[in-house]
Amino acid sequence: MRVILAEDSTLLREGLVRLLAEEGHEVLAAVGDAEALLAEVGAKTPDVVVTDIRMPPDHTDEGLRAAVRIRELRPEIGVVVLSQYVERNYAAQLLTSSAERVGYLLKDRVAQVEEFLDALERVHAGGAAIDPEVVRQLLIRTTHADPLTRLTPRERTVLEALAEGHTNAAIGQKLHISLSAVEKNLNAIFDKLGLSRTTGYSRRVLAVLRYLES
Amino acid sequence: MKQPVAAPFLLRVAGVLVGCLTAVLNLLYFVLAGAALGAFLLWPRTRPRAHALLAAGARRLTGVERRRRSLFFRDAFPEHRACDQQILRYLAARTYSGLLCAVVVGLVDFGAVLAGIFAASLTHTSMTWVDILGQVVLGGTLLFLAVQGLRALTEQDARLARECFGPSERELLQRRIDELATSRAAVVRAVDVERRRVERDLHDGVQQRLVALAMLLGRARRGRTPERADALLEQAHKEAQEVLTELREVAWRVYPTALDSLGLREALGGVSERCALPVRMEYDVPQPLPSAVETAAYFVVSEAVNNAAKHSAADEVFVRVHGDGTSLVVLVRDTGTGGADPSGSGLTGLGSRVAALDGTLRVDSPLGGPTTITAELPCA
Repeated sequence: MRVILAEDSTLLREGLVRLLAEEGHEVLAAVGDAEALLAEVGAKTPDVVVTDIRMPPDHTDEGLRAAVRIRELRPEIGVVVLSQYVERNYAAQLLTSSAERVGYLLKDRVAQVEEFLDALERVHAGGAAIDPEVVRQLLIRTTHADPLTRLTPRERTVLEALAEGHTNAAIGQKLHISLSAVEKNLNAIFDKLGLSRTTGYSRRVLAVLRYLES
Repeated sequence: MKQPVAAPFLLRVAGVLVGCLTAVLNLLYFVLAGAALGAFLLWPRTRPRAHALLAAGARRLTGVERRRRSLFFRDAFPEHRACDQQILRYLAARTYSGLLCAVVVGLVDFGAVLAGIFAASLTHTSMTWVDILGQVVLGGTLLFLAVQGLRALTEQDARLARECFGPSERELLQRRIDELATSRAAVVRAVDVERRRVERDLHDGVQQRLVALAMLLGRARRGRTPERADALLEQAHKEAQEVLTELREVAWRVYPTALDSLGLREALGGVSERCALPVRMEYDVPQPLPSAVETAAYFVVSEAVNNAAKHSAADEVFVRVHGDGTSLVVLVRDTGTGGADPSGSGLTGLGSRVAALDGTLRVDSPLGGPTTITAELPCA
Protein backbone atom coordinates (compact mmCIF):
# COMPACT_ATOMS: atom_id res chain seq x y z
CA MET A 1 0.00 0.00 0.00
CA ARG A 2 1.03 3.64 -0.37
CA VAL A 3 1.58 5.37 2.96
CA ILE A 4 2.21 8.92 4.17
CA LEU A 5 3.77 9.26 7.63
CA ALA A 6 3.68 12.18 10.05
CA GLU A 7 5.80 11.82 13.17
CA ASP A 8 7.93 14.54 14.79
CA SER A 9 10.53 12.25 16.33
CA THR A 10 13.10 11.76 13.56
CA LEU A 11 14.25 8.51 15.05
CA LEU A 12 10.81 6.96 15.07
CA ARG A 13 9.95 8.36 11.65
CA GLU A 14 13.03 6.80 10.09
CA GLY A 15 12.29 3.51 11.84
CA LEU A 16 8.74 3.48 10.51
CA VAL A 17 9.88 4.30 6.99
CA ARG A 18 12.36 1.40 7.06
CA LEU A 19 9.85 -1.01 8.56
CA LEU A 20 7.22 -0.22 5.94
CA ALA A 21 9.76 -0.43 3.13
CA GLU A 22 10.93 -3.84 4.39
CA GLU A 23 7.33 -5.01 4.33
CA GLY A 24 7.08 -3.95 0.69
CA HIS A 25 4.92 -0.87 1.22
CA GLU A 26 5.60 2.38 -0.54
CA VAL A 27 6.20 5.43 1.68
CA LEU A 28 5.18 8.45 -0.41
CA ALA A 29 6.26 11.00 2.19
CA ALA A 30 7.42 11.18 5.78
CA VAL A 31 6.96 14.55 7.50
CA GLY A 32 7.36 16.05 10.97
CA ASP A 33 4.27 18.21 11.48
CA ALA A 34 0.55 18.40 10.72
CA GLU A 35 0.80 21.23 8.21
CA ALA A 36 3.26 19.35 6.02
CA LEU A 37 1.07 16.27 6.34
CA LEU A 38 -1.99 18.08 4.96
CA ALA A 39 0.11 19.50 2.14
CA GLU A 40 1.44 16.05 1.21
CA VAL A 41 -2.02 14.48 1.35
CA GLY A 42 -3.28 17.28 -0.91
CA ALA A 43 -0.55 16.58 -3.46
CA LYS A 44 -0.39 12.76 -3.43
CA THR A 45 -2.73 9.80 -3.34
CA PRO A 46 -1.89 7.57 -0.37
CA ASP A 47 -3.96 4.57 0.66
CA VAL A 48 -3.27 5.10 4.34
CA VAL A 49 -1.99 8.01 6.45
CA VAL A 50 -0.25 7.28 9.74
CA THR A 51 0.06 10.29 12.06
CA ASP A 52 1.23 11.02 15.57
CA ILE A 53 -1.25 13.09 17.59
CA ARG A 54 1.19 15.32 19.47
CA MET A 55 3.26 17.32 17.02
CA PRO A 56 4.84 20.77 16.74
CA PRO A 57 4.19 23.63 17.22
CA ASP A 58 2.15 23.12 20.42
CA HIS A 59 2.44 19.39 21.03
CA THR A 60 -1.25 19.00 21.81
CA ASP A 61 -3.59 17.42 19.23
CA GLU A 62 -2.32 18.80 15.90
CA GLY A 63 -2.12 15.34 14.33
CA LEU A 64 -5.63 14.44 15.42
CA ARG A 65 -7.08 17.60 13.93
CA ALA A 66 -5.26 16.89 10.67
CA ALA A 67 -6.61 13.33 10.72
CA VAL A 68 -10.20 14.52 11.19
CA ARG A 69 -9.68 17.01 8.36
CA ILE A 70 -8.33 14.30 6.03
CA ARG A 71 -11.37 12.13 6.81
CA GLU A 72 -13.67 15.00 5.85
CA LEU A 73 -11.86 15.87 2.62
CA ARG A 74 -10.69 12.45 1.42
CA PRO A 75 -12.80 9.71 3.05
CA GLU A 76 -11.26 7.12 0.72
CA ILE A 77 -7.91 7.47 2.54
CA GLY A 78 -7.42 5.29 5.58
CA VAL A 79 -6.20 7.16 8.68
CA VAL A 80 -4.33 5.69 11.62
CA VAL A 81 -3.49 7.97 14.54
CA LEU A 82 -0.86 7.18 17.15
CA SER A 83 -1.57 8.42 20.66
CA GLN A 84 0.69 8.73 23.70
CA TYR A 85 -2.15 7.89 26.06
CA VAL A 86 -5.62 6.43 25.92
CA GLU A 87 -7.67 9.56 25.26
CA ARG A 88 -11.37 8.83 25.15
CA ASN A 89 -12.19 12.20 23.58
CA TYR A 90 -9.63 11.82 20.84
CA ALA A 91 -10.87 8.38 19.96
CA ALA A 92 -14.48 9.59 19.96
CA GLN A 93 -13.66 12.59 17.75
CA LEU A 94 -11.98 10.38 15.23
CA LEU A 95 -14.56 7.62 15.18
CA THR A 96 -17.87 9.46 15.40
CA SER A 97 -18.02 10.47 11.74
CA SER A 98 -17.68 6.83 10.68
CA ALA A 99 -15.58 3.93 11.77
CA GLU A 100 -14.40 2.82 8.39
CA ARG A 101 -10.78 3.04 7.27
CA VAL A 102 -9.75 4.36 10.64
CA GLY A 103 -7.31 3.34 13.35
CA TYR A 104 -6.58 4.61 16.83
CA LEU A 105 -3.46 3.01 18.24
CA LEU A 106 -1.27 3.68 21.21
CA LYS A 107 2.16 4.74 20.17
CA ASP A 108 3.74 1.81 21.94
CA ARG A 109 1.78 -0.49 19.64
CA VAL A 110 4.25 0.40 16.88
CA ALA A 111 6.82 -1.54 18.88
CA GLN A 112 4.75 -4.70 18.37
CA VAL A 113 5.56 -4.80 14.72
CA GLU A 114 3.15 -7.58 13.72
CA GLU A 115 0.18 -5.99 15.45
CA PHE A 116 0.95 -2.61 13.97
CA LEU A 117 1.26 -3.95 10.44
CA ASP A 118 -1.90 -5.98 10.93
CA ALA A 119 -3.80 -2.87 12.07
CA LEU A 120 -2.57 -1.00 8.98
CA GLU A 121 -3.78 -3.81 6.75
CA ARG A 122 -7.19 -3.81 8.41
CA VAL A 123 -7.60 -0.06 7.94
CA HIS A 124 -6.44 -0.35 4.36
CA ALA A 125 -9.07 -3.03 3.76
CA GLY A 126 -11.79 -0.64 4.92
CA GLY A 127 -12.04 -1.76 8.54
CA ALA A 128 -11.19 -0.22 11.90
CA ALA A 129 -8.26 -0.82 14.20
CA ILE A 130 -8.70 0.25 17.77
CA ASP A 131 -5.92 -0.43 20.22
CA PRO A 132 -6.72 -3.35 22.55
CA GLU A 133 -5.48 -1.20 25.43
CA VAL A 134 -7.97 1.55 24.55
CA VAL A 135 -10.75 -0.98 24.44
CA ARG A 136 -9.64 -2.51 27.76
CA GLN A 137 -9.60 0.86 29.51
CA LEU A 138 -12.97 1.86 28.11
CA LEU A 139 -14.43 -1.42 29.29
CA ILE A 140 -13.09 -0.80 32.79
CA ARG A 141 -14.76 2.59 32.84
CA THR A 142 -18.25 1.39 32.06
CA THR A 143 -20.73 1.84 34.89
CA HIS A 144 -23.77 -0.15 35.98
CA ALA A 145 -26.15 2.18 34.18
CA ASP A 146 -24.43 1.22 30.98
CA PRO A 147 -26.04 -1.42 28.71
CA LEU A 148 -22.55 -2.84 28.35
CA THR A 149 -22.78 -4.15 31.91
CA ARG A 150 -25.53 -6.51 30.78
CA LEU A 151 -23.14 -8.42 28.56
CA THR A 152 -21.84 -11.83 29.60
CA PRO A 153 -18.05 -12.19 29.93
CA ARG A 154 -17.95 -14.14 26.66
CA GLU A 155 -19.94 -11.43 24.86
CA ARG A 156 -17.56 -8.86 26.28
CA THR A 157 -14.50 -10.59 24.85
CA VAL A 158 -16.26 -10.88 21.50
CA LEU A 159 -17.13 -7.16 21.56
CA GLU A 160 -13.56 -6.35 22.53
CA ALA A 161 -12.23 -8.25 19.55
CA LEU A 162 -14.85 -6.58 17.37
CA ALA A 163 -13.79 -3.16 18.61
CA GLU A 164 -10.24 -3.92 17.66
CA GLY A 165 -11.57 -4.21 14.14
CA HIS A 166 -11.37 -7.95 13.56
CA THR A 167 -13.67 -9.78 11.18
CA ASN A 168 -16.03 -12.53 12.42
CA ALA A 169 -13.70 -15.23 11.14
CA ALA A 170 -10.71 -13.62 12.86
CA ILE A 171 -12.67 -13.29 16.10
CA GLY A 172 -13.52 -16.97 15.93
CA GLN A 173 -9.85 -17.88 15.46
CA LYS A 174 -8.74 -15.53 18.19
CA LEU A 175 -11.18 -16.88 20.77
CA HIS A 176 -11.12 -20.47 19.53
CA ILE A 177 -14.87 -20.60 18.90
CA SER A 178 -16.84 -21.46 15.78
CA LEU A 179 -18.00 -18.83 13.32
CA SER A 180 -21.65 -19.50 14.17
CA ALA A 181 -20.89 -19.02 17.88
CA VAL A 182 -19.33 -15.66 17.04
CA GLU A 183 -22.41 -14.64 15.07
CA LYS A 184 -24.70 -15.74 17.87
CA ASN A 185 -22.71 -13.73 20.39
CA LEU A 186 -22.71 -10.69 18.13
CA ASN A 187 -26.49 -10.82 17.69
CA ALA A 188 -26.91 -11.00 21.46
CA ILE A 189 -24.61 -7.99 21.82
CA PHE A 190 -26.50 -5.96 19.19
CA ASP A 191 -29.75 -6.81 20.96
CA LYS A 192 -28.51 -5.74 24.35
CA LEU A 193 -27.10 -2.51 22.96
CA GLY A 194 -30.33 -1.73 21.13
CA LEU A 195 -28.76 -2.09 17.70
CA SER A 196 -30.81 -5.01 16.40
CA ARG A 197 -32.68 -2.89 13.87
CA THR A 198 -29.63 -1.36 12.22
CA THR A 199 -27.98 -3.52 9.62
CA GLY A 200 -24.70 -4.17 7.96
CA TYR A 201 -21.24 -3.08 8.92
CA SER A 202 -22.32 0.12 10.68
CA ARG A 203 -23.86 -2.01 13.43
CA ARG A 204 -20.43 -3.27 14.31
CA VAL A 205 -19.12 0.28 14.34
CA LEU A 206 -21.95 1.56 16.50
CA ALA A 207 -21.31 -1.22 18.98
CA VAL A 208 -17.72 -0.05 19.22
CA LEU A 209 -18.82 3.54 19.58
CA ARG A 210 -20.89 2.59 22.61
CA TYR A 211 -17.57 2.47 24.42
CA LEU A 212 -16.48 5.80 23.23
CA GLU A 213 -19.56 7.78 24.13
CA SER A 214 -18.69 10.00 27.02
CA MET B 1 12.77 43.91 52.90
CA LYS B 2 15.90 45.96 53.01
CA GLN B 3 16.85 47.92 56.08
CA PRO B 4 18.04 51.42 55.17
CA VAL B 5 21.64 52.19 56.06
CA ALA B 6 21.88 54.43 59.14
CA ALA B 7 23.46 57.85 58.64
CA PRO B 8 26.72 58.69 60.47
CA PHE B 9 26.31 60.03 64.01
CA LEU B 10 27.46 63.61 63.35
CA LEU B 11 25.13 63.95 60.39
CA ARG B 12 22.23 62.87 62.59
CA VAL B 13 23.22 65.37 65.27
CA ALA B 14 23.22 68.08 62.58
CA GLY B 15 19.78 66.81 61.51
CA VAL B 16 18.44 67.19 65.05
CA LEU B 17 19.77 70.75 65.31
CA VAL B 18 18.34 71.71 61.91
CA GLY B 19 15.10 70.12 63.11
CA CYS B 20 15.04 72.56 66.04
CA LEU B 21 15.39 75.47 63.60
CA THR B 22 12.66 74.22 61.26
CA ALA B 23 10.38 73.73 64.27
CA VAL B 24 10.81 77.41 65.11
CA LEU B 25 10.02 78.29 61.46
CA ASN B 26 6.93 76.08 61.58
CA LEU B 27 5.80 77.74 64.79
CA LEU B 28 6.18 81.14 63.13
CA TYR B 29 4.13 79.93 60.19
CA PHE B 30 1.34 78.65 62.42
CA VAL B 31 1.28 81.90 64.39
CA LEU B 32 1.28 84.13 61.28
CA ALA B 33 -1.06 81.98 59.20
CA GLY B 34 -3.30 81.44 62.16
CA ALA B 35 -3.49 85.17 62.75
CA ALA B 36 -4.15 85.93 59.07
CA LEU B 37 -6.58 83.10 58.37
CA GLY B 38 -8.11 82.59 61.80
CA ALA B 39 -11.25 84.59 61.11
CA PHE B 40 -11.84 82.91 57.76
CA LEU B 41 -11.32 79.51 59.32
CA LEU B 42 -14.09 80.18 61.79
CA TRP B 43 -16.59 81.39 59.19
CA PRO B 44 -18.22 78.35 57.52
CA ARG B 45 -18.46 79.91 54.04
CA THR B 46 -14.78 80.69 53.74
CA ARG B 47 -13.54 77.78 55.78
CA PRO B 48 -12.70 75.36 52.91
CA ARG B 49 -10.63 77.99 51.02
CA ALA B 50 -8.83 79.13 54.15
CA HIS B 51 -8.18 75.56 55.17
CA ALA B 52 -6.80 74.75 51.73
CA LEU B 53 -4.48 77.78 51.89
CA LEU B 54 -3.25 76.81 55.35
CA ALA B 55 -2.66 73.25 54.18
CA ALA B 56 -0.83 74.39 51.02
CA GLY B 57 1.67 76.34 53.12
CA ALA B 58 1.95 73.46 55.55
CA ARG B 59 2.64 71.14 52.61
CA ARG B 60 5.63 73.30 51.57
CA LEU B 61 7.05 73.22 55.10
CA THR B 62 6.39 69.50 55.30
CA GLY B 63 8.42 69.14 52.08
CA VAL B 64 11.32 70.87 53.86
CA GLU B 65 10.96 68.44 56.79
CA ARG B 66 10.94 65.53 54.38
CA ARG B 67 14.13 66.73 52.71
CA ARG B 68 15.72 67.19 56.13
CA ARG B 69 14.89 63.56 57.00
CA SER B 70 16.30 62.24 53.72
CA LEU B 71 19.41 64.41 53.85
CA PHE B 72 20.52 63.99 57.47
CA PHE B 73 18.96 60.65 58.38
CA ARG B 74 19.13 58.88 54.99
CA ASP B 75 15.44 58.03 55.17
CA ALA B 76 14.22 56.58 51.90
CA PHE B 77 10.53 57.38 51.58
CA PRO B 78 8.45 55.89 48.79
CA GLU B 79 6.21 58.06 46.62
CA HIS B 80 3.29 58.60 48.93
CA ARG B 81 0.87 61.51 48.95
CA ALA B 82 -0.68 62.29 52.32
CA CYS B 83 -4.00 64.16 52.64
CA ASP B 84 -4.25 67.75 53.98
CA GLN B 85 -5.49 66.54 57.35
CA GLN B 86 -2.45 64.28 57.71
CA ILE B 87 -0.06 67.05 56.66
CA LEU B 88 -1.43 69.51 59.20
CA ARG B 89 -1.42 66.91 61.94
CA TYR B 90 2.14 65.97 61.13
CA LEU B 91 3.38 69.55 61.02
CA ALA B 92 1.72 70.38 64.35
CA ALA B 93 3.13 67.30 66.07
CA ARG B 94 6.52 67.79 64.46
CA THR B 95 6.62 71.47 65.53
CA TYR B 96 5.78 70.56 69.10
CA SER B 97 8.40 67.85 69.35
CA GLY B 98 10.95 70.04 67.53
CA LEU B 99 10.42 72.91 69.97
CA LEU B 100 10.68 70.50 72.88
CA CYS B 101 13.87 69.21 71.35
CA ALA B 102 15.17 72.79 71.09
CA VAL B 103 14.42 73.28 74.78
CA VAL B 104 16.26 70.11 75.76
CA VAL B 105 19.23 71.02 73.54
CA GLY B 106 19.22 74.45 75.24
CA LEU B 107 19.22 72.77 78.66
CA VAL B 108 22.09 70.50 77.65
CA ASP B 109 24.08 73.53 76.47
CA PHE B 110 23.28 75.35 79.69
CA GLY B 111 24.35 72.31 81.70
CA ALA B 112 27.57 72.10 79.71
CA VAL B 113 28.37 75.74 80.49
CA LEU B 114 27.63 75.16 84.20
CA ALA B 115 29.76 72.01 84.20
CA GLY B 116 32.60 74.03 82.62
CA ILE B 117 32.37 76.73 85.26
CA PHE B 118 32.20 74.08 87.98
CA ALA B 119 35.26 72.27 86.61
CA ALA B 120 37.22 75.55 86.34
CA SER B 121 36.36 76.51 89.93
CA LEU B 122 37.45 73.13 91.30
CA THR B 123 41.13 74.24 91.46
CA HIS B 124 40.57 77.16 93.89
CA THR B 125 37.43 76.09 95.71
CA SER B 126 36.63 75.69 99.34
CA MET B 127 34.01 72.96 98.63
CA THR B 128 34.23 69.77 100.57
CA TRP B 129 34.34 66.50 98.57
CA VAL B 130 30.78 65.76 99.75
CA ASP B 131 29.60 68.97 98.00
CA ILE B 132 31.59 68.07 94.90
CA LEU B 133 30.12 64.56 94.82
CA GLY B 134 26.63 66.01 95.25
CA GLN B 135 27.16 68.37 92.30
CA VAL B 136 28.54 65.58 90.10
CA VAL B 137 25.63 63.25 90.91
CA LEU B 138 23.09 66.02 90.29
CA GLY B 139 24.75 67.06 86.99
CA GLY B 140 25.08 63.46 85.89
CA THR B 141 21.39 62.79 86.61
CA LEU B 142 20.30 65.89 84.72
CA LEU B 143 22.57 64.98 81.82
CA PHE B 144 21.12 61.45 81.77
CA LEU B 145 17.56 62.80 81.71
CA ALA B 146 18.43 65.26 78.94
CA VAL B 147 20.06 62.57 76.81
CA GLN B 148 17.07 60.26 77.36
CA GLY B 149 14.75 63.10 76.37
CA LEU B 150 16.74 63.78 73.23
CA ARG B 151 16.72 60.13 72.28
CA ALA B 152 13.00 59.86 72.77
CA LEU B 153 12.40 63.04 70.77
CA THR B 154 14.60 62.01 67.84
CA GLU B 155 12.86 58.66 67.76
CA GLN B 156 9.52 60.39 67.78
CA ASP B 157 10.70 62.63 64.93
CA ALA B 158 11.55 59.55 62.91
CA ARG B 159 8.24 57.88 63.73
CA LEU B 160 6.20 60.95 62.80
CA ALA B 161 8.03 61.16 59.48
CA ARG B 162 7.44 57.47 58.82
CA GLU B 163 3.75 57.78 59.49
CA CYS B 164 3.31 60.80 57.25
CA PHE B 165 5.75 60.16 54.39
CA GLY B 166 6.27 56.46 54.34
CA PRO B 167 3.98 53.52 54.23
CA SER B 168 2.58 52.74 57.66
CA GLU B 169 3.34 49.44 59.40
CA ARG B 170 -0.04 48.21 58.28
CA GLU B 171 0.62 49.12 54.66
CA LEU B 172 4.00 47.44 54.84
CA LEU B 173 2.41 44.29 56.21
CA GLN B 174 -0.28 44.40 53.55
CA ARG B 175 2.37 44.82 50.90
CA ARG B 176 4.34 41.91 52.26
CA ILE B 177 1.25 39.72 52.32
CA ASP B 178 0.51 40.62 48.68
CA GLU B 179 4.08 39.88 47.78
CA LEU B 180 3.93 36.48 49.46
CA ALA B 181 0.60 35.59 47.90
CA THR B 182 1.91 36.49 44.45
CA SER B 183 5.13 34.60 44.87
CA ARG B 184 3.32 31.58 46.26
CA ALA B 185 1.00 31.43 43.27
CA ALA B 186 3.97 31.90 40.97
CA VAL B 187 5.83 29.04 42.63
CA VAL B 188 2.90 26.71 42.10
CA ARG B 189 2.77 27.78 38.44
CA ALA B 190 6.48 27.26 38.07
CA VAL B 191 6.23 23.77 39.53
CA ASP B 192 3.50 22.92 37.04
CA VAL B 193 5.59 24.22 34.16
CA GLU B 194 8.49 22.06 35.29
CA ARG B 195 6.29 19.01 35.57
CA ARG B 196 5.02 19.57 32.08
CA ARG B 197 8.58 19.79 30.90
CA VAL B 198 9.48 16.54 32.63
CA GLU B 199 6.46 14.83 31.08
CA ARG B 200 7.49 16.06 27.66
CA ASP B 201 11.09 15.00 28.22
CA LEU B 202 9.93 11.52 29.10
CA HIS B 203 7.46 11.21 26.28
CA ASP B 204 9.20 12.96 23.46
CA GLY B 205 12.62 11.69 24.39
CA VAL B 206 12.73 8.47 26.32
CA GLN B 207 9.47 6.94 25.14
CA GLN B 208 10.19 7.62 21.46
CA ARG B 209 13.58 6.01 21.79
CA LEU B 210 12.14 2.97 23.54
CA VAL B 211 9.50 2.57 20.85
CA ALA B 212 12.18 2.88 18.18
CA LEU B 213 14.28 0.30 20.03
CA ALA B 214 11.39 -2.15 20.28
CA MET B 215 10.68 -1.57 16.61
CA LEU B 216 14.26 -2.43 15.71
CA LEU B 217 13.97 -5.66 17.70
CA GLY B 218 10.66 -6.42 16.00
CA ARG B 219 12.25 -5.89 12.60
CA ALA B 220 15.21 -8.03 13.59
CA ARG B 221 12.85 -10.90 14.49
CA ARG B 222 11.19 -10.57 11.09
CA GLY B 223 14.58 -10.27 9.38
CA ARG B 224 14.62 -12.31 6.18
CA THR B 225 18.28 -13.28 6.52
CA PRO B 226 20.52 -13.88 9.56
CA GLU B 227 22.91 -11.08 8.45
CA ARG B 228 20.06 -8.61 8.24
CA ALA B 229 18.81 -9.68 11.66
CA ASP B 230 22.31 -9.30 13.10
CA ALA B 231 22.71 -5.81 11.70
CA LEU B 232 19.37 -4.78 13.18
CA LEU B 233 20.24 -6.31 16.56
CA GLU B 234 23.49 -4.36 16.60
CA GLN B 235 21.54 -1.17 15.92
CA ALA B 236 19.10 -2.07 18.66
CA HIS B 237 21.95 -2.58 21.09
CA LYS B 238 23.35 0.84 20.26
CA GLU B 239 19.89 2.34 20.61
CA ALA B 240 19.52 0.78 24.07
CA GLN B 241 22.69 2.62 25.16
CA GLU B 242 21.24 5.84 23.78
CA VAL B 243 18.03 5.32 25.75
CA LEU B 244 20.04 4.94 28.94
CA THR B 245 21.98 8.13 28.23
CA GLU B 246 18.76 9.99 27.51
CA LEU B 247 17.19 8.72 30.72
CA ARG B 248 20.21 9.87 32.71
CA GLU B 249 19.96 13.29 31.08
CA VAL B 250 16.26 13.60 31.84
CA ALA B 251 16.78 12.58 35.47
CA TRP B 252 19.59 15.12 35.75
CA ARG B 253 17.38 17.85 34.35
CA VAL B 254 14.66 16.99 36.84
CA TYR B 255 17.06 17.27 39.78
CA PRO B 256 20.83 17.14 39.74
CA THR B 257 21.67 14.77 42.59
CA ALA B 258 25.20 16.17 42.60
CA LEU B 259 23.73 19.22 44.35
CA ASP B 260 23.00 17.16 47.45
CA SER B 261 26.07 14.99 47.44
CA LEU B 262 28.79 17.26 46.05
CA GLY B 263 27.43 20.79 46.35
CA LEU B 264 26.73 23.68 44.03
CA ARG B 265 30.18 23.96 42.54
CA GLU B 266 30.25 20.39 41.27
CA ALA B 267 26.68 20.58 39.99
CA LEU B 268 27.57 23.73 38.04
CA GLY B 269 30.56 21.88 36.63
CA GLY B 270 28.04 19.35 35.32
CA VAL B 271 26.11 22.16 33.62
CA SER B 272 29.16 23.43 31.75
CA GLU B 273 30.12 19.88 30.73
CA ARG B 274 26.67 19.34 29.26
CA CYS B 275 26.61 22.66 27.45
CA ALA B 276 27.48 22.73 23.75
CA LEU B 277 29.12 26.16 24.20
CA PRO B 278 32.31 26.83 26.14
CA VAL B 279 31.39 28.08 29.63
CA ARG B 280 33.80 30.23 31.66
CA MET B 281 32.99 29.84 35.32
CA GLU B 282 34.06 32.06 38.22
CA TYR B 283 33.02 30.62 41.56
CA ASP B 284 33.74 32.56 44.69
CA VAL B 285 31.60 31.50 47.64
CA PRO B 286 33.56 31.38 50.88
CA GLN B 287 30.94 29.92 53.22
CA PRO B 288 28.41 27.08 52.89
CA LEU B 289 25.02 28.10 51.47
CA PRO B 290 21.48 27.17 52.52
CA SER B 291 20.31 24.33 50.30
CA ALA B 292 17.30 26.26 48.92
CA VAL B 293 19.66 29.00 47.73
CA GLU B 294 22.00 26.43 46.18
CA THR B 295 19.13 24.82 44.29
CA ALA B 296 17.79 28.15 43.02
CA ALA B 297 21.28 29.29 41.98
CA TYR B 298 21.81 26.00 40.17
CA PHE B 299 18.59 26.29 38.19
CA VAL B 300 19.26 29.93 37.31
CA VAL B 301 22.63 28.98 35.82
CA SER B 302 21.35 25.82 34.18
CA GLU B 303 18.34 27.50 32.54
CA ALA B 304 20.28 30.59 31.47
CA VAL B 305 23.14 28.55 30.01
CA ASN B 306 20.72 26.25 28.17
CA ASN B 307 18.84 29.23 26.78
CA ALA B 308 22.10 30.77 25.60
CA ALA B 309 23.09 27.53 23.88
CA LYS B 310 19.67 27.10 22.28
CA HIS B 311 18.59 30.57 21.22
CA SER B 312 21.31 33.20 21.46
CA ALA B 313 23.76 32.16 18.73
CA ALA B 314 26.49 32.99 21.26
CA ASP B 315 29.94 31.46 21.06
CA GLU B 316 30.71 31.68 24.76
CA VAL B 317 28.93 31.93 28.10
CA PHE B 318 30.37 33.54 31.20
CA VAL B 319 29.08 32.53 34.62
CA ARG B 320 29.97 34.21 37.90
CA VAL B 321 28.74 33.00 41.27
CA HIS B 322 29.79 35.29 44.05
CA GLY B 323 28.80 35.15 47.73
CA ASP B 324 29.56 37.59 50.53
CA GLY B 325 27.82 35.96 53.48
CA THR B 326 24.60 37.96 53.27
CA SER B 327 23.67 37.28 49.67
CA LEU B 328 24.65 35.25 46.64
CA VAL B 329 24.88 36.94 43.27
CA VAL B 330 24.63 34.76 40.17
CA LEU B 331 25.47 36.35 36.84
CA VAL B 332 25.22 34.66 33.45
CA ARG B 333 26.28 36.57 30.36
CA ASP B 334 26.52 35.32 26.79
CA THR B 335 28.03 36.83 23.68
CA GLY B 336 24.89 36.26 21.64
CA THR B 337 22.31 38.31 19.82
CA GLY B 338 20.07 39.20 22.78
CA GLY B 339 16.32 39.60 22.53
CA ALA B 340 15.55 37.09 25.31
CA ASP B 341 11.94 37.29 26.43
CA PRO B 342 11.67 37.68 30.22
CA SER B 343 8.01 36.61 30.04
CA GLY B 344 8.89 33.25 28.47
CA SER B 345 7.97 30.22 30.55
CA GLY B 346 11.54 29.32 31.48
CA LEU B 347 12.55 32.78 32.68
CA THR B 348 9.21 33.33 34.42
CA GLY B 349 9.72 30.08 36.30
CA LEU B 350 13.20 31.19 37.31
CA GLY B 351 11.86 34.55 38.45
CA SER B 352 9.28 32.78 40.62
CA ARG B 353 11.87 30.48 42.09
CA VAL B 354 14.09 33.42 42.98
CA ALA B 355 11.19 35.56 44.25
CA ALA B 356 10.13 32.73 46.55
CA LEU B 357 13.44 33.22 48.36
CA ASP B 358 12.95 37.03 48.45
CA GLY B 359 15.59 37.41 45.79
CA THR B 360 15.52 39.39 42.57
CA LEU B 361 16.09 38.31 38.98
CA ARG B 362 17.06 40.79 36.30
CA VAL B 363 17.10 39.98 32.61
CA ASP B 364 18.95 42.45 30.44
CA SER B 365 18.80 41.45 26.81
CA PRO B 366 18.83 44.28 24.28
CA LEU B 367 18.44 43.35 20.61
CA GLY B 368 21.91 42.70 19.29
CA GLY B 369 23.02 41.37 22.66
CA PRO B 370 24.64 40.58 24.94
CA THR B 371 22.18 38.93 27.31
CA THR B 372 22.90 39.25 31.01
CA ILE B 373 20.87 37.45 33.64
CA THR B 374 21.54 38.42 37.23
CA ALA B 375 19.98 36.80 40.26
CA GLU B 376 20.51 38.06 43.76
CA LEU B 377 19.57 35.61 46.51
CA PRO B 378 19.59 36.56 50.18
CA CYS B 379 21.35 33.91 52.29
CA ALA B 380 20.22 35.02 55.74
